Amino acid sequence: MIEFSQKSEITLLEIKNLTKSFGDVLALDRFSLVLEKGDVLGLLGPNGAGKTTLISILAGTLRDFTGTVNFQGRNLFADRGLKNRLGIVPQDMAFYEELNAMDNLMFWGGLYDMPKADLKRRAAELLELVELAGRAKEPVKNFSGGMKRRLNTAIGLLHRPDLLLLDEPTVGIDVQAKVSILEIIRSVGTAGTAVIFTTHQLSEVEGTCSRIAIMDRGRILAQGTLDELVRIVGERDIVEIEGDFAAAVFSEALQDLAGDDVELLSAADGLASLAVTDTEQIPRIMDRLFGRKLAVTDIKIKSPSLETVFLKLTGRSLRD
Amino acid sequence: MRRLFLILGNDLRRHLKAPLVVVIFIAIPLVMTGLIGIVFGPRTEDTQLPPIPILLIDHDKGLVSKFLLGAFDADQLKKMFQVTVTDEVDGRRRMENGKASAMIVIPERFTLDLLEAKPVTLSVVKNPAEQYLPDVAEEFVNTMAVMLSAVVQAFADEARGIRAMLDSPLASFSWEALAPELGKAQKKMIAAERYLNPLLLRLKEEETKAGGAKTRFTRTDLFSTILPGMAIMFLLFIVQTLMRDLLSEREDGKLRRLMTTPLRPLELISARLLGGWIMGMIVLLVMVAAGTLVFRVNWGPFGYFLLLGAVASFWTAALFGLLHALFRNRNQAGALSAPIILAFSLFGGSMINPEAMPKTFRAVGILTPNRWFIDGAALIRDGRFPWAALLVLAVSGLVLMALAVRALRRRTSV
Repeated sequence: MIEFSQKSEITLLEIKNLTKSFGDVLALDRFSLVLEKGDVLGLLGPNGAGKTTLISILAGTLRDFTGTVNFQGRNLFADRGLKNRLGIVPQDMAFYEELNAMDNLMFWGGLYDMPKADLKRRAAELLELVELAGRAKEPVKNFSGGMKRRLNTAIGLLHRPDLLLLDEPTVGIDVQAKVSILEIIRSVGTAGTAVIFTTHQLSEVEGTCSRIAIMDRGRILAQGTLDELVRIVGERDIVEIEGDFAAAVFSEALQDLAGDDVELLSAADGLASLAVTDTEQIPRIMDRLFGRKLAVTDIKIKSPSLETVFLKLTGRSLRD
Repeated sequence: MRRLFLILGNDLRRHLKAPLVVVIFIAIPLVMTGLIGIVFGPRTEDTQLPPIPILLIDHDKGLVSKFLLGAFDADQLKKMFQVTVTDEVDGRRRMENGKASAMIVIPERFTLDLLEAKPVTLSVVKNPAEQYLPDVAEEFVNTMAVMLSAVVQAFADEARGIRAMLDSPLASFSWEALAPELGKAQKKMIAAERYLNPLLLRLKEEETKAGGAKTRFTRTDLFSTILPGMAIMFLLFIVQTLMRDLLSEREDGKLRRLMTTPLRPLELISARLLGGWIMGMIVLLVMVAAGTLVFRVNWGPFGYFLLLGAVASFWTAALFGLLHALFRNRNQAGALSAPIILAFSLFGGSMINPEAMPKTFRAVGILTPNRWFIDGAALIRDGRFPWAALLVLAVSGLVLMALAVRALRRRTSV
């Protein structure tokens, strides 16, 4: 694993060798992570990477795993009182649609050890934050998808948690609602709450998170700031080639070009990605491909980004 | 404990915000009880049948037809029948307009043929639009026909004599000639009196008394019998509907979120079961109140009934708590719950009186809460304490509750 950030003295969350299987499928494979106060960690990975499994274990809704999770120096699962310090925003819209937004906040907040007056104040404050104050007394079933997502997020923040876990909080909503939720996540981090936020949208983590972890097949492949991660692929451009070719033939055609100047990142039937030091390498590549009579239909050149990092690390795009 | 009551309060608030299901499940048994009582219930004195309107067409205008007409004028029959004498054209018109339940047509020569002991026919035209009033009229005419036949046959000789005299011209009428016929008739009457006075067969009317209370079976008694059966059936329906929250919360992710809070699984389970019990009690109390006010149902000592209702609600909540821990999803719960409740209600006596059931059905009924609740309610109506019903429901309810808690704990540990 590639790691850049240094561990500070105040460790809020420390996960060591967390492993979880579903039958023969290994969902988490010796997963380890350290999170500090105020960190906003974007956990990036394709479907099936193990993101939701990790969140479910941390939330206490999934058992039968190995490894340790310490929260504020204590075993997270041995001390029920620590649940008061965790805020969870699940992927599902988990609230009562027949109740209004205020009643929902009062109910969910009531399950934590909060004085009623404080809870009421906090609920009003959060309704302002998620821009639902004007609709506080309306049944939630009348809300749009974006409004429901914002309420879902507010419920997780009610009891001022030290660690907020958000499982794909922007799924299925419009751009405006997405921007609003990402802004809330940023402000929560600024206020000192640590956040783990899973997504498979690169654009979301790029502008929101102080740290990014790239995860695939139950493990973190790399983590650090965006700049640190981009340095993994260096200053090289990414060339994406589409055509009518078999992956094996494509790899073989470029075999003797592979080196510092050209690196084959991934090759599938009809689609391959390469990292090149400069675009002058492209004619050389094309010569080899045409020499082997491989049909090329499209060439795209991309500058280094989180996507190229992801491609480099996982060998596949996030949409796979 | 605070969280338990928070969940409970939230559940009640949610159901009160959408009370349609609860209202429907309370209204249906009351409406059904009312309909059954009205259709099949016995008549109390103040709700007797109205007099049956009958049209009488007398083509004969003879002695016997006058006798028939006079019979309808007797006090008892006056209460039963409202007789209008008219001609056949008017009679048919009225019948077609539904103005009468039946029309009796006495043919020409009815008296004469009867006195000659010849077969005669009385016609009864019935109104097909009415259900049973025309049948009552028909049965009455039938009875009269049998009586007349018997009288004519017993006094056949005398009748022939009288018939002969009626045919003779008025100028030749002789009281002396009539005297022997009347004398013979008198002898037969005297001989018959031996059998008729006193009557060999007498009908004795008696009303049973229990503890000095009047126990004639009235429509109110029918309501008192039906409503407990309906109440337990719809108690089962409503509690299973509320318990479905256990499945919907599991399916839509609320259960997982609840379990991320400091809430303990046992608190959640207890709140759900307690919620089912409370809602069951509310439904029963509303039914008791409505039954008392609308149908004047006699429930017996209220405290006993309240206790029986509490235990039955507990049993129901425990059963559906267990079933909803075993069901995989809401669809499965929806498909299986209704047949279970209907089977309980059929075998347990909510739909058919257990006394009218085959022996096997009655034996199966013992396994249902309906049967114990209905039997318990019947005992309470008689002022007795339903020990057996309470014991059976409480003990089996505790067993179900233990199984439900165990199964639900497994389900909430997601």
